[in-house]
Amino acid sequence: MGHSGELPTKQRSSRPFTRQMADTVRRPAVIRPDSRLPPVDSVGNRGVHSTVVSIGGAVARDEAGQGMAPARPGFDPELKAGLAVVGGFFPPTVTPDLIDYMREAYASPPIEDTLRGRAITLEDLTIAGYRGDPITVSVLRPARASGLRPGVVFTHSSGMMFGDRFSGIELVLEWIERLGAVMVTTEYRMAPECPDPYPREDCYAALEWTAATAEQLGIRRDRILIAGASAGGGITAGLALAARDRSGPALCGQVLDYPMLDDRGIALSTRQFDGVGVWDRISNETGWAALLGEARGGPTVSEYAAPARASDLGNLPPAFIDVGVCEIFRDEAVAYASGIWAAGGDAELHVWAGGFHAFDIFAPHTALSRGMIRTRDAWVEKIIED
Amino acid sequence: MQQLLAKISALDPEASLTLRVIACFDELIVGNVNTRALLSAAASLGGCNAGFRQDHPLRSIRVNPRGELLPTDGVEPDGLVQRADGLTVWLERDGPKHANDDMILERLALAVRIRCGQGRQDLDNRRDLGVILDGAVPIAERQLSASRLGLRPTAAYRVVAAPLFALWGSRPGGPEDVVPTAFGSLHAMVVAHDCTTVEATPAGLGIACGIEHLPHSFRTAVVALRLCSPPATPVINADEYGGLIGLLADAPADGHMPDVELLDDVMDHAWACPTLDALIRAGSLRQAARLGGVHHSTMQSRVDVITAMMGFDPIDGLGRTRLGIAYLVWRLRHSRVLELPAPNAAASA
Repeated sequence: MGHSGELPTKQRSSRPFTRQMADTVRRPAVIRPDSRLPPVDSVGNRGVHSTVVSIGGAVARDEAGQGMAPARPGFDPELKAGLAVVGGFFPPTVTPDLIDYMREAYASPPIEDTLRGRAITLEDLTIAGYRGDPITVSVLRPARASGLRPGVVFTHSSGMMFGDRFSGIELVLEWIERLGAVMVTTEYRMAPECPDPYPREDCYAALEWTAATAEQLGIRRDRILIAGASAGGGITAGLALAARDRSGPALCGQVLDYPMLDDRGIALSTRQFDGVGVWDRISNETGWAALLGEARGGPTVSEYAAPARASDLGNLPPAFIDVGVCEIFRDEAVAYASGIWAAGGDAELHVWAGGFHAFDIFAPHTALSRGMIRTRDAWVEKIIED
Repeated sequence: MQQLLAKISALDPEASLTLRVIACFDELIVGNVNTRALLSAAASLGGCNAGFRQDHPLRSIRVNPRGELLPTDGVEPDGLVQRADGLTVWLERDGPKHANDDMILERLALAVRIRCGQGRQDLDNRRDLGVILDGAVPIAERQLSASRLGLRPTAAYRVVAAPLFALWGSRPGGPEDVVPTAFGSLHAMVVAHDCTTVEATPAGLGIACGIEHLPHSFRTAVVALRLCSPPATPVINADEYGGLIGLLADAPADGHMPDVELLDDVMDHAWACPTLDALIRAGSLRQAARLGGVHHSTMQSRVDVITAMMGFDPIDGLGRTRLGIAYLVWRLRHSRVLELPAPNAAASA
């Protein structure tokens, strides 16, 4: 793969990653759940007491290089409990040899299960992606909608390498069911087989297609929101820049959930969470290297691929940006919001204390996730509801 | 999280989901999260509604798997219910019970008991059990905490220490809590002095003493726990080692102990563990050979190797004591019992 014009192979209908393959895919080393860390440690774990009962004997073991870890804020207790469940199966550190494993581990559950009991209809369509290649999009509609509705173009989380157009979709189904939006979600081609600009330009093609066929889709052309999480959030930020610069579709807002914005990895938070949580520095380097190859970190990377590099953040649609305090993207997200403000733009930024990357996807039942989801939904409601 | 568990199962059929459920509630207990958070985790793990009722004062909570509150009026739990100390928790499972339901319910009940139990009433956010086990707290304050916990000033008790992931059979009664230590958060329980073992894997029992010395009992319990080696040795009572464990409990963690460092090389031999076990238990070379299941000439040649490496004869006079202490300290320094077993290795859990 990776040649222009080649057909995408990761269509949902023919998932290549079978159970048999899973057995041959390298598994990550089992990550020890945080439960065995000392009660007061460099991660900021709190014991339930104000003192530590000191006990003679050997010193507490150094866990995974904790002794050399930089100062970093601690995870929310409910989220730590979530990590204890996930432990080892969604490793913090994704190296290139784990890409196939992650494709198996991060594949979304059957969409029929996700939509069961919801008043949402699903239609799969093939449209022209980057360079005219066929790609699949799904259109999700409120079952009882009539007239023109707000539109959402959704870009799934992927680390640029894994997942599918339904990954994390359950968190935005409320926008369809409750707010009445029509959602288009794109099966964009991913790295390393399809490096930059395939992922973003497939998504841009889906955005243009949505705007061009808005009436047939039941979408108000003047109320199209773009939204994405993680790598999808970075792509979404790139879509907003590209739409502005190419005089593309008018956008009423951009939702950037813990977006992957900067291939250079220069923010302090990038180096703060090695080996803990979800998606650490090494994982990020793996993702960017897959997308950009040798160009990663160099002078030739496009602003659309790495929106943190954009020199002009003016004249963008209103942005909603949320991110966890305990994740490598924290400082990139804060800087991006600051850049928009500096350019006189509209950005709302929420930084959630104790949150690791994509915590709302991994542990939606927790108080922190409920707060994040509620806050995001409220902003989207404000922007798109009739 | 039920979907995550299902996915983990699909990716690795050998994975112990039970341990993941336990580890999840461990974190919630240590993090001192509220009842709704505990219920939300249970509901999320189970993929069904979970509920809680406290008799005094009356208080009910129900949540769905997304952690959202549900009405509590007229809901009578049946089936998957646990009641204790005026606290009731339940899972609302339609259809047959799932494999993890019992474990989710048990851990939820434990966590709710700790969150809502008597020990939580203190003003300074420190729980009584932690207070009576902390030798740095003035004795008068510890005695106050002890009486709040219903411990009698004239009685003797011992402390049981276990990791949060320990597997329990029946539990002895007694105040219990999660207590932070240099080795991570441990489950501590105060039991009567004549309770000499517990049905738990792994667990250590401290020496019996009055309330004043419970911090020492806890330290010896932790040493005993760290000497455990399941499945062969799931439980150790500090009494078995007399005053020795007391010495170990109070020894500085990073003390320079040349005998232990010399022993490091001996332990490279495959025969080292059973041989040293036999030597420190036996009264003679022949008895050591019998305990170790080897011919006495084999035992003799091993003793010769040990003598050469350590620089003293391990079955002669003071040498026996030196070897015994060095071996115990070596075992403590290399203890793996507080590490959560790898998921694959714990299918039996």
